[in-house]
Order: sequence, then structure tokens, then C-alpha cells
Amino acid sequence: MLILGIDTATAQVSVAVGGHEGVLASTQSVRGKQHAETLTPAIEFTCRQARIELSEISVVAVDLGPGLFTGLRVGVAAAKAMAHALRVPMIGVSSLDLVAFPLRHCPKLIVAAVDAKRGELFTASYRQVPGGLQRLTPNHVVSPDDLASELLATAEECVLVGDGATRYREVFDGLHKVEIIEEGLSYPSAASLVMLAHARALREEWVKPWDLQPLYLRKPDAEINWQTRDGAP
Amino acid sequence: MIIAFTPSADETKLLASAVAELIRPGDLVLLAGDLGAGKTAFTQGFGAALGIIEPITSPTFTLVNQYQGRLELFHLDVYRLDAVDEVLDIGLNEMLDEGGVTVIEWGDTVIPALPADYLQVSLRMGEGDDDRMFEIELVGPRWSARTRALSTALAPWLGEAHEMPRVRER
Repeated sequence: MLILGIDTATAQVSVAVGGHEGVLASTQSVRGKQHAETLTPAIEFTCRQARIELSEISVVAVDLGPGLFTGLRVGVAAAKAMAHALRVPMIGVSSLDLVAFPLRHCPKLIVAAVDAKRGELFTASYRQVPGGLQRLTPNHVVSPDDLASELLATAEECVLVGDGATRYREVFDGLHKVEIIEEGLSYPSAASLVMLAHARALREEWVKPWDLQPLYLRKPDAEINWQTRDGAP
Repeated sequence: MIIAFTPSADETKLLASAVAELIRPGDLVLLAGDLGAGKTAFTQGFGAALGIIEPITSPTFTLVNQYQGRLELFHLDVYRLDAVDEVLDIGLNEMLDEGGVTVIEWGDTVIPALPADYLQVSLRMGEGDDDRMFEIELVGPRWSARTRALSTALAPWLGEAHEMPRVRER
């Protein structure tokens, strides 16, 4: 079984291909914007490096967010389109799960923090369990200061990881029992995505492309009151 | 609230230039007003003062246009959106984070999705074809601190509430 993993939820664009033998090839680049231009060449390159044809892909995995809206949608849309064209199922994984995954061997409390812009962070906490990580909290939006308070309130040794942690480093630096994981592990990676997706694929925990929804973590939308606009004094 | 009047399209653009002089990285400007009130014309004067040479056109269909002046200008129009939070879908949070200036036509309709820190410029048509009335609100700490500076910059056009013309029948 071969899995194509696509991640554009943060400033990093990452693509990986893997399966039973592990990750065969992966690519990542962080240029902030232009995920649409970066993604397709990255998919082509990664498949070439893995020496596979797209037709050999049996599952498409994608980072569902939470993350940056415009970038995130580039990856989700591309992944859905490919899965649909290849007639294969999809597996979606949250960006916070992916940010925490490389730290799964750490016995401390793992806190993933992804930059949500506007002075906010997307966050969730995890703990090591046999076989991987268990998420302890729902994904939620929080200010850096409030997250710092939450961490202090747990009174536990914890590691804080993600581009949200590094962006607001000065808020978390020196906090008692809080260790910030530095660069290199700040972004969710498609390699982690492929590994996590593989475990799920073995259990056939996949969905049809049209059933896959990104994780925006937004309140329910209110409609714009265009009547008010027309009658504005 | 600052009230101002302009007698012509040229004066409207000069007023817009005066506002642009006070713009700082990360600023948000909402343009309110009916169709034809001059939101895009205002933005053209605004953009010219920021040193943007490229012609500024209405973003009604593109949703967002982007220009480079002394600051990057993100020019949005939410007229075609149906839900308030759709303004986030077009990447508003990322734009606000860029350190440019964001101008949203019909921005008053999506205020719940915006940070409470913006300049709202409401344009109304006056008695003639070319004169315009402006109601300018400074919302939040970034803008309240510039109230006096803005009043000074708009001195040539300042007016009083009681001078507001009757709303034209249309």
C-alpha cells in the first residue's frame, strides 16, 4: 500500500510518499506563501524521488488543519482532487496531531501550538501511551498568555512545540517546567502524516474524498445582513 | 466621529490621500457606503498616496487585489460574500499579519469577524453628483490615538453634523 501525504496547513509545504517500508521520500519547504505554486512541483518531485507513479497510490492523506486558511485549502483541495481522480480513499489528520507526533517518545506532557495569526494559537495537549500519543484536550484557540497560564496550572513538566510556540517564544521562555522545542520540529511534516496515516490505513479508517472536511475551529458562520447595508443611514 | 465634505471627485481623492499619509503597517480600513458612493474611487486616491502606480480597480469579482506601494495594500470587497466569516476564508488573518494596509469595501458588514481596531470611512452622496459626505470613526487603540492627527490632516474638509444634507431620493 502506498500513501501520498500532503501538508500545506502552515507556512511549510510538505509532501511525502510511504507505506509498509516506511517513508520512501519526503519534501518540505518554508517560504511562507504561494503554496499553490509550490505544491504541484513538490508532489511530482517526491513521487520521482520515491520512484513511483501516481497510479500506484492507494491512499491520499492530508493535513486538515487547524492552520492558515488559504494555505490549508490549497492542500486539502489538491488532495481531494487527486484522491477523486485516482479513485482512492482519504485519511485526514489534524495539524496539531502531526506537530506532536515527532515527540511521541518524550514522557512529558506534549503541547502543540500552531500559529493562528491575530495574536492567537491553535493548541492541543498529548501524552505518551503504548503505540503513540493520546490527545488529552480538544483542539482549541487560545492567546499565548492564556496558554502560558494553562501550562503553569498543570504544574507538570511539559514540552511546547509548533510554529506558534516559536513565534511567541518570549511568552513561554523561562516558564517553570516548560521546555520549548526549537526549529526543525516546528511544522507538521508529511513524513509524520504518512506514518500516522499508514497505521490508520491498516485498520481501514479512511473516508471518501467528498466526506473530508478541513478543521477551521471557527464559530458557526453568521450570514451578512445585506438588508442593513441597503438601508444604512 | 469626524465629519467631512468634499465637493468633487478630485477633492475626494485628496481627502483619501490625507488619510493614507497617516497609515501605518498593519492598519485596517473599512469603507462603507452604497453602490456608487465612491469606495473604489476613494481607494484609488488612497493607493496613489501610498505610491502605488498600478491602476486600482474594483475587487468586487476578484475578492482581493494586492498592490505594492510604500506598504503592501490588500484591497478587498466582501460584496459577493454571504457569511460574515467568509472574509476569513479569503485569508484576512494572513493579510493582517503581513504588515501592510488592508482596505475592505463593505467592511462594515463583516465587523464581527474583524479585530476591534480599524478606521471606518462611511461615504454618502450629497445633493449634487460629485459631492460626498464622510463619517469617519476611529475604533480601537491604534486609531483613537490618531484622532487629533487625522482631524488636522482633514482640516480642509471638516464639517459639522448639522450641515449634513438631506438624503437624496434615488
